[in-house]
Amino acid sequence: MHKKRLICKKNKVSLIVLAVIFCTCGFCLAGCEGKPADRMPSASEENPIVSERHEDIHKNATSVVNFDRELDDYRPLKKQYNFYFTYKLVHPWWDAVALGIEDAAKEYEERGIIIDYEYLAPKEASAQKQIHQLSEASLRGFDVIGVDVADVAILSPVINELMKNGQKIMTFSSSDASKEDGCNRIAYVGNTHNYEDGVELTEALCEKLGFRGTIAVLVGIQEAPCHEDRALGVKDVIAKYPDMEIVEIAYDGDSVDNAFHLTRGFLERHKDLDGIVCCNMSNPVGAARAVMEAGRENEIVIVGMDHDQEALRYLKDGIIYALGVQDCYSIGYDTIQVAVKIADGLLPGEAYPEKTEEITTIIYQDSATAVLQTLYGEID
Amino acid sequence: MNGSQIHVRKEKQQRKQTVTFALLGGGIIAAILLITTIWASNRARIGTSQAVSRVSEFYLEELAGRRAQVVSEELKNHVAYIKNALDILEPDDLESQESLRQFLGKVKKLYGVDKFAFVDENGIVYTQHSTTSGLSRYGFLSEELTTPVIHTQNLYGAKKQVILAIPVEDVFFQGVRIKICFIQINISEMLSSLTLQTNDNETYCNLYYRNGESLTNDSFGYLTAGKNLLSELEKAEMKEGSSHKKLSDDFANGNPGQISFKYQESEEELCYIPVEGTNWMLTILIRNNVISDQIGSISSRMMKRSIIQIVITVLVMLVVFSLLIHQSRKNAKFLLEQEKADGNRIRAAYKQIERERTAMNNIHAAMGSGLWSMEFNTRAEILSCTWSDVFRKMVGYNSEEDFPNRMESWSDLLHKEDKEQVLKEYWDTVYDYTNEKTYDVEYRLLTKHAGWRWFHAAGRLSRREDGSPITFVGLFLDIDDERKMEKQLQRQKIDLQDALAAAQHANKAKTTFLNNMSHDIRTPMNAIIGFTSLAATHIDNTEQVRDYLSKITTSSNHLLSLINDVLDMSRIESGKVKIEEKEASLPEIMHDLKTIVQADITSRQLEFYIDTVDVVNEHVLCDKLRLNQVLLNLLSNAMKFTKPGGMVSVRILQKESAPEGCASYDFQVKDTGIGMSKEFLEHVFEPFEREKTSTISGIQGTGLGMAITKNIVDMMGGTIHVVSEEGKGSTFTVSLQFRICADPVRQDEIPELKGLRALVADDDFNTCSSVTKMLSTIGMRPDWTTSGKEAVLRAKLAKEQNDSYAAYIIDWLMPDMNGIEVVRRIRGMIGEEIPIIILTAYDWSDIEEEARTAGVTAFCSKPIFLSELREILELPYTAQSVENIILKETMSFEGKKILLVEDNELNQEIAVEILQEEGFIMDVADDGVVAVEKIKTSDPGCYDLILMDIQMPILNGYEATKQIRALNRPGLSDIPIIAMTANAFDEDKKMAFAAGMNGHIAKPIDIPKLMELLTNVLK
Repeated sequence: MHKKRLICKKNKVSLIVLAVIFCTCGFCLAGCEGKPADRMPSASEENPIVSERHEDIHKNATSVVNFDRELDDYRPLKKQYNFYFTYKLVHPWWDAVALGIEDAAKEYEERGIIIDYEYLAPKEASAQKQIHQLSEASLRGFDVIGVDVADVAILSPVINELMKNGQKIMTFSSSDASKEDGCNRIAYVGNTHNYEDGVELTEALCEKLGFRGTIAVLVGIQEAPCHEDRALGVKDVIAKYPDMEIVEIAYDGDSVDNAFHLTRGFLERHKDLDGIVCCNMSNPVGAARAVMEAGRENEIVIVGMDHDQEALRYLKDGIIYALGVQDCYSIGYDTIQVAVKIADGLLPGEAYPEKTEEITTIIYQDSATAVLQTLYGEID
Repeated sequence: MNGSQIHVRKEKQQRKQTVTFALLGGGIIAAILLITTIWASNRARIGTSQAVSRVSEFYLEELAGRRAQVVSEELKNHVAYIKNALDILEPDDLESQESLRQFLGKVKKLYGVDKFAFVDENGIVYTQHSTTSGLSRYGFLSEELTTPVIHTQNLYGAKKQVILAIPVEDVFFQGVRIKICFIQINISEMLSSLTLQTNDNETYCNLYYRNGESLTNDSFGYLTAGKNLLSELEKAEMKEGSSHKKLSDDFANGNPGQISFKYQESEEELCYIPVEGTNWMLTILIRNNVISDQIGSISSRMMKRSIIQIVITVLVMLVVFSLLIHQSRKNAKFLLEQEKADGNRIRAAYKQIERERTAMNNIHAAMGSGLWSMEFNTRAEILSCTWSDVFRKMVGYNSEEDFPNRMESWSDLLHKEDKEQVLKEYWDTVYDYTNEKTYDVEYRLLTKHAGWRWFHAAGRLSRREDGSPITFVGLFLDIDDERKMEKQLQRQKIDLQDALAAAQHANKAKTTFLNNMSHDIRTPMNAIIGFTSLAATHIDNTEQVRDYLSKITTSSNHLLSLINDVLDMSRIESGKVKIEEKEASLPEIMHDLKTIVQADITSRQLEFYIDTVDVVNEHVLCDKLRLNQVLLNLLSNAMKFTKPGGMVSVRILQKESAPEGCASYDFQVKDTGIGMSKEFLEHVFEPFEREKTSTISGIQGTGLGMAITKNIVDMMGGTIHVVSEEGKGSTFTVSLQFRICADPVRQDEIPELKGLRALVADDDFNTCSSVTKMLSTIGMRPDWTTSGKEAVLRAKLAKEQNDSYAAYIIDWLMPDMNGIEVVRRIRGMIGEEIPIIILTAYDWSDIEEEARTAGVTAFCSKPIFLSELREILELPYTAQSVENIILKETMSFEGKKILLVEDNELNQEIAVEILQEEGFIMDVADDGVVAVEKIKTSDPGCYDLILMDIQMPILNGYEATKQIRALNRPGLSDIPIIAMTANAFDEDKKMAFAAGMNGHIAKPIDIPKLMELLTNVLK
């Protein structure tokens, strides 16, 4: 009996102790609400697909225009250079080249080498004005003069004459005047494949049209080598396909308004027009505006050149089918590097090629957003 | 069950009850504490959260306001900067493009902006370093500004910029009106100082236009960079009191505000405020979870800590309680056991002492050695010291009175050289509580009768449990006789080893020397044999044979000097060799050097470069032979250790640091051979040292070359330095200073060539650099290229530019186009008159004809010196004067009679042939005795001169001369006598003159030297 009572007491004590321990643990658990919620994931962490897509876009876009340039290992002989560059006309295309020139000059300055330069153009393309500019510049002792040749036939003799007088002259950006043209300029930096660009754009258009249809061609300035070469490429491709025909060719003089009005004319005169090939930067903008105004954007396929922001938006919206984007930044950047070497007395060879070739990339609707972001920081 | 058992059980029950009550009480207290803690913590958390949330709203508003103010101030400041800059603009700054650029640069630097620019009425933009057309790039230029404007620009390349522009009045530059002045600021940089963004990306700051478009390319919370804020927040879930309409209206009207919303599953708080003077809105975004998480985290941690604290306190109390009881019981038991253990240890210690004492007595008895012992207290201080009688007797004392039982009795007698060490050992042993150390020493002790004697002492300690010493017991042995014997044996052994080493070294040196001596002899010998063989092959081509013979002569001369050097090695070391300073031509030395090694270079298929840098003093006073020897040693080593296809180069460089009347040179010999290890480099200049790899590679050598070289350089007061890396090659640089013995090479311009262009084409950049400098010195305008093709292009371009080159210096062997081909093409363009010089380090004889046909005007051997280049280029203008140079008068020896005293038939034949060629009549005597007899029996004037060998079988040359001089016949006794001997050292010359001779010429015969001497003597 007594033993039983003892056992009961023992059990009670054990139960009380257990209850106390249980309560303690319970309170502990109630008090410990667990770790505070971890930091909210950032946009990229939460949505990895978005992040990857942005990376892809960035990669594609940087292969179109390479902004991550660095100067090569060449060590200039002088501490200061003075260059003069003249280009065809005041136009946003050459502003992109100017940025490359500006950045290369800044990087040289960081290395202790000063690049002074003038980068000037007439408001409208004119070979005679360019001759005037060259003549004045040649009297001012520039180390190197760079020319974006407005007219090969007119400017080549002038360049040769200046070279004969000891002036170092190179060509750059959009149009060259080479030895084959009878020009003795030292080197060229820029697009060396204008004809091929015209061919490639036209091939894309033909394929889109199923190699059947009528097209019109918009060109920029008459006698400007780059525009004429592209137009030649267009003609050669169309000549290959018996069911394709060029119904009209017109020059807009590098003016968007002209391109707009010329396209209006095309649309009025050729009701069955299937496509327009645009050979310069102003062409596709004017063409797209006119086609939209006429409400024929679903009927007419437009292909064109360059990186105009408005044109890129049309590409994104599907009004323009394809654009050939040139790496204008690298053109400007390399122009400065080559000019420095020419100023140091180096001839084309190991130090730099006679023609520094810059790329053109044909882009379609799927790349338009990425290129808009890279070139203009623009997002939907 | 008896009464005591019942009492025990009651006691147990009472103890159990006490424990139960204690546990219950503890549990209740703990539970109350817990409940109150949790309640208090929760209340505190809710209150804190509300308070912090209210404070954060105020804070956010305040923060946004301040940031907006900073942006606004920043913009205002920049406008003020522009105005200030225009105020300090002076008319001088507008005088020229340079002055304007300077001004713009100064202002840009002063205000730290990206760009500071003026724009004229034609839209031309002027900055520090550029003048550009800006109409298409800067949209605002098309507007007519009347007040300052803030313009934002999204440049190609997505570079967003803020442009602050103000209209300018009454400023004209080069006749054109300056219309606008603007500065360009990078938006991201401007905002970087304002951003609140932390590492965790939970707080953001950005600028937007009123239409919601972003001014920057930065992301804003979950909003991707560049997205429109207003359109994007349409997708957000607005909280109570917030709406998208409010946001849009506030933005449109430029009103400040604050909204809460949920966007992409995140609770966010957005505060916005207009930036004064702009149409911008500054926005600050903070995530609500940042605040709530922080508060929750703090409260949870506080509560958790309180609960843990309570539980731990209760547990600790219980544990401490139990431990105290347990410990008191344990202590009592432990003390009892310790007492027992101490008793056992003490007994054991006594037994140990007894055993040791007995053992020591036994040792003492057996060895006849002196016993000593010392007792210590627990602090290791000596309590007592006991010297045994045997010990006392060993040091010459008989009683305790004479040698008391004190430590000092013994230590005072220690030899002063040993005392410190012995006492240190003693005390180190005493203090070694680990008892690992044994006292074991040998020392000298002053004995009473036998002076200093050697003793050996050893001992060990018994210790307490803590390691402190109890008893130190030891032995003491007299080892004086053994030490003396040992010392004697040691001395004998060293003597024997020295003798053996000396004998071995001498033997080894002799063997090594004899076995390897041929190394330095073989190099010139190879040239002699090679060119002899070539001469035999082209025996019909006189011109070529003459060239080979000349090279053989050069190599032979060097071989001779080399033999002298090997024989002189011991003389060098004993200081007998003297450096003879004579006038020497560095070009001659370098060309001779090249000639000697040329055959080897070709046969080993090595590329060879040799050039000069800044050498303006070409004639110096130096020991030509020794200098040649140094360079040839280095060069032959370089060739020897460089594989085919490798490169060997020699360069002489004149330094500017020489004192007046002297010139300092660095002679640099470089190769791309096997190089040397770091270990070997330390011994490279020691005699008979050779790198192991060179032995393995099978390359022969005595190991004497570098030692001779170093000795000679030392004697010449110079230094030699080597840099080498295994597998990459070695560079030896010998720095020497010589006195100048002629005026420096003419540095003036050649008037006829002044301002004319010259082209240097050589694939070796150093040669281009060196020759270009020389051409500049003589007044030409040099260009250079390392490419043959480029040389042709440059020639063409120069011609087209009407600024043709007046001279061409072309390397023969260039990788892209052979020098001859380059010459052929250039000559085709420029006609026949312009000189084209081929520069080469190789033998050009085989291609000379082809080269001349191609249009080469002249050849020039590398290294080219300024004087040589000058001579070649001046040649067309100085031809007249050269013709006018009067030919040097030469003396005729026709009919002169010489008595040749020579015992060796071969030598007789050579000498007779040479001298008869020059017109002498020869008579021969094959010994001194015969010569003396012939003179005695001849008439005065019969012989004009005697050439006397020294070592002859019966009567030597000295004695024969003395006897001739002793003749009492004028005209015979004073006949000129010249020693012609292989005894070529300085002391031999002195002995010849002492014997009465008039001159000394060493064999083998150097014909020009002999003729010069004969001319002088017979004049």
